[in-house]
Amino acid sequence: MIEFNVRTTDQGLGVVAPHGRLNMVAARHLRDAINGLIGGGTTRIVVDLADTTFIDSSALGALVAGLKSARQVGGDLRIARPTESVMTVFRLTNLDKVLRPRDDVEGAFDD
Amino acid sequence: MTDEGTWVEAFEAPVEEATLDLVQDRLEAFWTRAVSVEPTERMKLEMAFVEIVGNIIEHAFAVDTTDGGRILSVVLRADADSIEAVISDNGLPTALDLGSVTMPDEDAVSGRGLALTVAAVDEMRYERVDGRNHWTLRLARQSG
Repeated sequence: MIEFNVRTTDQGLGVVAPHGRLNMVAARHLRDAINGLIGGGTTRIVVDLADTTFIDSSALGALVAGLKSARQVGGDLRIARPTESVMTVFRLTNLDKVLRPRDDVEGAFDD
Repeated sequence: MTDEGTWVEAFEAPVEEATLDLVQDRLEAFWTRAVSVEPTERMKLEMAFVEIVGNIIEHAFAVDTTDGGRILSVVLRADADSIEAVISDNGLPTALDLGSVTMPDEDAVSGRGLALTVAAVDEMRYERVDGRNHWTLRLARQSG
Protein backbone atom coordinates (compact mmCIF):
# COMPACT_ATOMS: atom_id res chain seq x y z
CA MET A 1 0.00 0.00 0.00
CA ILE A 2 1.07 3.55 -0.63
CA GLU A 3 1.73 6.33 1.85
CA PHE A 4 1.87 10.03 1.14
CA ASN A 5 4.08 12.47 2.94
CA VAL A 6 2.89 16.04 2.43
CA ARG A 7 4.81 19.04 3.76
CA THR A 8 5.57 22.69 3.07
CA THR A 9 9.18 23.87 2.97
CA ASP A 10 10.67 27.08 4.42
CA GLN A 11 10.66 28.52 0.88
CA GLY A 12 6.93 27.89 0.61
CA LEU A 13 7.09 24.88 -1.66
CA GLY A 14 4.46 22.19 -1.23
CA VAL A 15 6.06 18.76 -1.33
CA VAL A 16 4.12 15.55 -1.96
CA ALA A 17 6.17 12.37 -1.56
CA PRO A 18 4.36 9.13 -2.48
CA HIS A 19 6.04 6.08 -0.91
CA GLY A 20 5.13 2.93 -2.85
CA ARG A 21 3.09 2.31 -5.99
CA LEU A 22 1.19 5.04 -7.73
CA ASN A 23 -1.61 3.03 -9.31
CA MET A 24 -5.24 3.85 -10.05
CA VAL A 25 -6.27 3.78 -6.39
CA ALA A 26 -3.30 5.87 -5.26
CA ALA A 27 -3.82 8.38 -8.10
CA ARG A 28 -6.95 9.71 -6.40
CA HIS A 29 -5.03 10.32 -3.17
CA LEU A 30 -2.30 12.06 -5.16
CA ARG A 31 -4.88 14.32 -6.78
CA ASP A 32 -6.41 15.10 -3.37
CA ALA A 33 -2.99 15.87 -1.87
CA ILE A 34 -2.14 18.27 -4.69
CA ASN A 35 -5.57 19.93 -4.60
CA GLY A 36 -5.29 20.25 -0.82
CA LEU A 37 -2.05 22.19 -1.13
CA ILE A 38 -3.42 24.45 -3.88
CA GLY A 39 -6.63 25.00 -1.91
CA GLY A 40 -4.52 26.04 1.07
CA GLY A 41 -2.69 28.64 -1.01
CA THR A 42 0.48 26.66 -1.81
CA THR A 43 0.77 26.88 -5.58
CA ARG A 44 4.38 25.82 -6.17
CA ILE A 45 4.36 22.05 -5.81
CA VAL A 46 7.08 19.43 -6.03
CA VAL A 47 6.15 15.76 -6.32
CA ASP A 48 9.11 13.87 -4.89
CA LEU A 49 9.22 10.50 -6.66
CA ALA A 50 12.35 9.15 -4.95
CA ASP A 51 10.38 6.44 -3.13
CA THR A 52 7.75 5.87 -5.81
CA THR A 53 8.33 2.36 -7.09
CA PHE A 54 5.72 2.28 -9.85
CA ILE A 55 3.51 4.69 -11.78
CA ASP A 56 0.54 4.00 -14.06
CA SER A 57 -1.44 6.08 -16.54
CA SER A 58 -4.01 7.28 -14.01
CA ALA A 59 -1.26 8.67 -11.78
CA LEU A 60 0.26 10.40 -14.80
CA GLY A 61 -3.19 11.90 -15.41
CA ALA A 62 -3.30 13.10 -11.79
CA LEU A 63 0.09 14.81 -12.24
CA VAL A 64 -1.03 16.55 -15.43
CA ALA A 65 -4.28 17.63 -13.75
CA GLY A 66 -2.24 18.98 -10.81
CA LEU A 67 0.08 20.81 -13.18
CA LYS A 68 -2.90 22.49 -14.86
CA SER A 69 -4.53 23.41 -11.54
CA ALA A 70 -1.30 24.91 -10.20
CA ARG A 71 -0.71 26.95 -13.36
CA GLN A 72 -4.27 28.24 -13.32
CA VAL A 73 -3.53 29.98 -10.03
CA GLY A 74 -0.12 31.27 -11.10
CA GLY A 75 1.93 28.40 -9.70
CA ASP A 76 3.53 25.30 -11.15
CA LEU A 77 4.09 21.61 -10.47
CA ARG A 78 7.42 19.87 -10.88
CA ILE A 79 8.67 16.36 -10.33
CA ALA A 80 11.91 15.44 -8.60
CA ARG A 81 14.14 12.40 -8.24
CA PRO A 82 12.21 9.78 -10.26
CA THR A 83 13.74 6.30 -10.39
CA GLU A 84 14.85 4.97 -13.76
CA SER A 85 11.81 2.70 -14.13
CA VAL A 86 9.37 5.51 -13.33
CA MET A 87 11.23 7.78 -15.74
CA THR A 88 10.76 5.19 -18.50
CA VAL A 89 6.99 5.64 -18.18
CA PHE A 90 7.37 9.43 -18.51
CA ARG A 91 9.44 8.94 -21.67
CA LEU A 92 7.04 6.42 -23.24
CA THR A 93 4.16 8.87 -22.80
CA ASN A 94 6.20 11.94 -23.86
CA LEU A 95 5.44 13.50 -20.48
CA ASP A 96 9.15 14.05 -19.83
CA LYS A 97 8.73 17.14 -22.02
CA VAL A 98 6.13 18.83 -19.82
CA LEU A 99 7.31 17.34 -16.52
CA ARG A 100 11.09 17.54 -16.75
CA PRO A 101 12.59 15.76 -13.73
CA ARG A 102 14.64 17.81 -11.23
CA ASP A 103 17.58 16.43 -9.30
CA ASP A 104 16.44 17.61 -5.90
CA VAL A 105 13.30 18.81 -4.12
CA GLU A 106 14.58 22.05 -2.58
CA GLY A 107 16.02 23.29 -5.86
CA ALA A 108 13.14 22.17 -8.08
CA PHE A 109 12.01 25.80 -8.60
CA ASP A 110 15.48 27.33 -8.97
CA ASP A 111 15.16 27.80 -12.75
CA MET B 1 4.00 -29.57 -15.90
CA THR B 2 6.77 -27.10 -15.26
CA ASP B 3 9.92 -27.67 -17.29
CA GLU B 4 13.22 -26.46 -16.05
CA GLY B 5 13.40 -22.76 -16.86
CA THR B 6 9.65 -22.37 -17.24
CA TRP B 7 7.62 -20.67 -14.56
CA VAL B 8 3.84 -20.64 -14.36
CA GLU B 9 1.51 -19.10 -11.81
CA ALA B 10 -2.26 -18.83 -11.82
CA PHE B 11 -4.61 -17.13 -9.40
CA GLU B 12 -8.04 -15.55 -9.12
CA ALA B 13 -9.22 -12.39 -7.41
CA PRO B 14 -12.48 -10.46 -7.06
CA VAL B 15 -12.88 -7.46 -9.36
CA GLU B 16 -12.53 -4.60 -6.87
CA GLU B 17 -10.08 -1.76 -6.29
CA ALA B 18 -8.07 -3.51 -3.57
CA THR B 19 -7.28 -6.21 -6.13
CA LEU B 20 -4.89 -3.89 -7.94
CA ASP B 21 -2.36 -3.99 -5.10
CA LEU B 22 -3.00 -7.69 -4.60
CA VAL B 23 -2.20 -8.60 -8.20
CA GLN B 24 0.93 -6.43 -8.12
CA ASP B 25 2.02 -8.29 -4.97
CA ARG B 26 1.43 -11.60 -6.76
CA LEU B 27 3.38 -10.40 -9.77
CA GLU B 28 6.30 -9.40 -7.54
CA ALA B 29 6.20 -12.82 -5.90
CA PHE B 30 6.26 -14.41 -9.36
CA TRP B 31 9.41 -12.48 -10.26
CA THR B 32 11.19 -13.81 -7.19
CA ARG B 33 10.63 -17.32 -8.61
CA ALA B 34 11.23 -16.49 -12.28
CA VAL B 35 14.77 -15.45 -11.47
CA SER B 36 16.08 -15.06 -15.00
CA VAL B 37 13.63 -12.27 -15.88
CA GLU B 38 15.50 -8.97 -16.15
CA PRO B 39 14.35 -5.84 -14.27
CA THR B 40 13.53 -4.07 -17.56
CA GLU B 41 11.38 -7.00 -18.68
CA ARG B 42 9.60 -7.08 -15.33
CA MET B 43 8.85 -3.40 -15.52
CA LYS B 44 7.45 -3.55 -19.05
CA LEU B 45 5.14 -6.45 -18.27
CA GLU B 46 4.06 -4.89 -14.98
CA MET B 47 3.20 -1.60 -16.69
CA ALA B 48 0.99 -3.32 -19.28
CA PHE B 49 -0.48 -5.71 -16.69
CA VAL B 50 -1.54 -2.97 -14.28
CA GLU B 51 -3.14 -0.93 -17.06
CA ILE B 52 -5.27 -3.88 -18.17
CA VAL B 53 -6.26 -4.91 -14.63
CA GLY B 54 -7.03 -1.25 -13.82
CA ASN B 55 -9.14 -1.06 -16.94
CA ILE B 56 -11.12 -4.16 -15.95
CA ILE B 57 -11.70 -2.82 -12.43
CA GLU B 58 -12.74 0.60 -13.70
CA HIS B 59 -15.06 -0.97 -16.24
CA ALA B 60 -16.71 -3.09 -13.55
CA PHE B 61 -17.38 -0.04 -11.40
CA ALA B 62 -18.73 1.92 -14.34
CA VAL B 63 -21.27 -0.76 -15.14
CA ASP B 64 -22.19 -1.15 -11.44
CA THR B 65 -23.05 -4.83 -11.55
CA THR B 66 -25.20 -5.85 -8.62
CA ASP B 67 -24.53 -9.55 -8.26
CA GLY B 68 -21.00 -8.97 -6.99
CA GLY B 69 -19.80 -12.07 -8.79
CA ARG B 70 -17.12 -10.63 -10.99
CA ILE B 71 -13.90 -12.59 -10.87
CA LEU B 72 -10.57 -11.94 -12.50
CA SER B 73 -8.27 -14.83 -13.43
CA VAL B 74 -4.58 -14.40 -14.11
CA VAL B 75 -2.07 -16.80 -15.63
CA LEU B 76 1.57 -15.74 -15.62
CA ARG B 77 4.12 -17.65 -17.64
CA ALA B 78 7.82 -17.07 -18.27
CA ASP B 79 10.40 -19.09 -20.15
CA ALA B 80 13.56 -18.41 -22.11
CA ASP B 81 11.65 -17.03 -25.12
CA SER B 82 8.88 -14.92 -23.67
CA ILE B 83 6.92 -13.66 -20.70
CA GLU B 84 3.17 -13.83 -20.92
CA ALA B 85 0.23 -12.71 -18.82
CA VAL B 86 -3.32 -13.79 -19.62
CA ILE B 87 -6.00 -11.89 -17.73
CA SER B 88 -9.61 -13.10 -17.98
CA ASP B 89 -12.81 -11.71 -16.53
CA ASN B 90 -16.49 -12.55 -16.70
CA GLY B 91 -17.61 -8.97 -17.28
CA LEU B 92 -19.26 -7.27 -20.21
CA PRO B 93 -17.53 -7.44 -23.60
CA THR B 94 -15.18 -4.61 -24.45
CA ALA B 95 -15.70 -2.72 -27.70
CA LEU B 96 -12.18 -1.79 -28.53
CA ASP B 97 -10.25 -1.15 -31.71
CA LEU B 98 -6.67 -1.89 -30.70
CA GLY B 99 -5.43 -0.71 -34.08
CA SER B 100 -6.53 2.84 -33.33
CA VAL B 101 -4.79 3.20 -29.98
CA THR B 102 -2.52 6.26 -29.95
CA MET B 103 -0.74 8.24 -27.24
CA PRO B 104 -2.74 11.39 -26.38
CA ASP B 105 -1.22 14.89 -26.21
CA GLU B 106 1.01 15.78 -23.30
CA ASP B 107 -1.67 17.87 -21.57
CA ALA B 108 -4.33 15.12 -21.58
CA VAL B 109 -5.40 13.93 -18.12
CA SER B 110 -6.54 10.49 -19.31
CA GLY B 111 -6.37 8.07 -22.24
CA ARG B 112 -2.77 6.89 -21.88
CA GLY B 113 -3.47 3.44 -20.47
CA LEU B 114 -3.87 1.34 -23.58
CA ALA B 115 -1.24 3.32 -25.50
CA LEU B 116 1.18 2.63 -22.65
CA THR B 117 0.29 -1.08 -22.77
CA VAL B 118 0.84 -1.26 -26.52
CA ALA B 119 4.18 0.54 -26.13
CA ALA B 120 5.35 -1.72 -23.30
CA VAL B 121 4.76 -5.20 -24.70
CA ASP B 122 5.33 -6.90 -28.05
CA GLU B 123 1.85 -8.35 -28.32
CA MET B 124 -1.49 -7.39 -26.85
CA ARG B 125 -4.55 -9.36 -27.79
CA TYR B 126 -8.19 -9.17 -26.74
CA GLU B 127 -10.67 -11.99 -27.30
CA ARG B 128 -14.20 -12.68 -26.18
CA VAL B 129 -14.61 -16.43 -25.68
CA ASP B 130 -17.52 -18.24 -24.01
CA GLY B 131 -18.81 -15.13 -22.30
CA ARG B 132 -15.42 -14.12 -20.92
CA ASN B 133 -12.92 -11.43 -21.82
CA HIS B 134 -9.34 -12.59 -22.34
CA TRP B 135 -6.43 -10.18 -22.49
CA THR B 136 -3.08 -11.60 -23.54
CA LEU B 137 0.12 -9.62 -22.99
CA ARG B 138 3.33 -11.04 -24.38
CA LEU B 139 6.87 -9.80 -24.13
CA ALA B 140 9.55 -11.44 -26.30
CA ARG B 141 12.85 -11.99 -24.54
CA GLN B 142 16.06 -10.84 -26.16
CA SER B 143 18.36 -13.51 -24.82
CA GLY B 144 17.42 -17.15 -24.53
